[in-house]
Amino acid sequence: MLRGQLRKQGTTARRSTGEGRPQHMVVFAVAGKRMAARTEEIAGVVSWTGAIPVPSETPFVTSLVRQQEGCLPVFDLAAKFKQPIREGESLCLVVKHVDGPLAIRIDAEVPSLQTVPRSSLQCHIGDDPDCAGVYVAGGEQLPIINLATLGVSSSRQAG
Amino acid sequence: MGLRRSQAVTLISGEAIRFLVTLIGRSSIAFPAQWVRGIVMPTAVGGDGLVTWANVSYEHSDLAERLKLASHGRSAETRVVLYGHDDQGKSFEVDKVLGLVDVERTLIHPLPPHFRGGERDRVLGFFADKDSVALIANPFWVLDLPNRKQALDLFALRLSAHGPGETDVRLQLPVARLDAVAVGQVG
Repeated sequence: MLRGQLRKQGTTARRSTGEGRPQHMVVFAVAGKRMAARTEEIAGVVSWTGAIPVPSETPFVTSLVRQQEGCLPVFDLAAKFKQPIREGESLCLVVKHVDGPLAIRIDAEVPSLQTVPRSSLQCHIGDDPDCAGVYVAGGEQLPIINLATLGVSSSRQAG
Repeated sequence: MGLRRSQAVTLISGEAIRFLVTLIGRSSIAFPAQWVRGIVMPTAVGGDGLVTWANVSYEHSDLAERLKLASHGRSAETRVVLYGHDDQGKSFEVDKVLGLVDVERTLIHPLPPHFRGGERDRVLGFFADKDSVALIANPFWVLDLPNRKQALDLFALRLSAHGPGETDVRLQLPVARLDAVAVGQVG
């Protein structure tokens, strides 16, 4: 089979992978909306200490948050999904982003670690490069977020 | 770690930058202090939009709007900063002047690369206190001067000539503590 055909197969609109090792996923919620991400893209979860606004033109990157001795940029996932932010307790999901550590404000429910068969993951290439597909859990479809490259493609498109 | 204590660190390497720290809305904005020529009351702004001080006229600009920050509006603590370099001068309002602070170069961080837009021209970076963060306004952008790389190098000073806690006599400002700045809830 030609390489081009292989590439085309890899980017079909939707595919299921029922074979291979199970995938470790983290399920968390942002402003009430549940979503999932691959565990290897997450560095940790710490308490949310409040963000410092930065006058920014970068889509969804508009603040910094204190962490230990430094500051991390914050990606506003709630704004991306047009979810009204809920006041009150929150947690900070620290992401292993390609540009360096990135913080995301998530709901106070502690994220759950789930080992799932790959057949429950539906990978697709859609309009949103920040979404890798969906994870079907108990009849619920959770978007799988590409945390490691979050905002990279959309910034380039906007720029 | 407070900023006062960071001054002691400064004495080790002997290189720091002195900032005038202000509040605009909920944001703490710092300006390299060497280009601060004065701080006056808002009443000093003339009807022609100029502030004249020591026979020099400063064009008044809305820095809060340029930075896309929501100012708290005029209050008893509002001040007008006169900022200039060579023949280029501007004045702008800030909601509050917190004071001067000397910050060790190693404690000044650039904006993370995740920030990709025009903010990189406006904000050079930040420094942090225990509870808050001051964003460093790009002095070249403030004055509409051509941008330059490593802009803060121009403002580096050797603090061995200054004692810890020393204030700028010309401006008679206290050393700023950013503890006064509340950390907001955004994002």
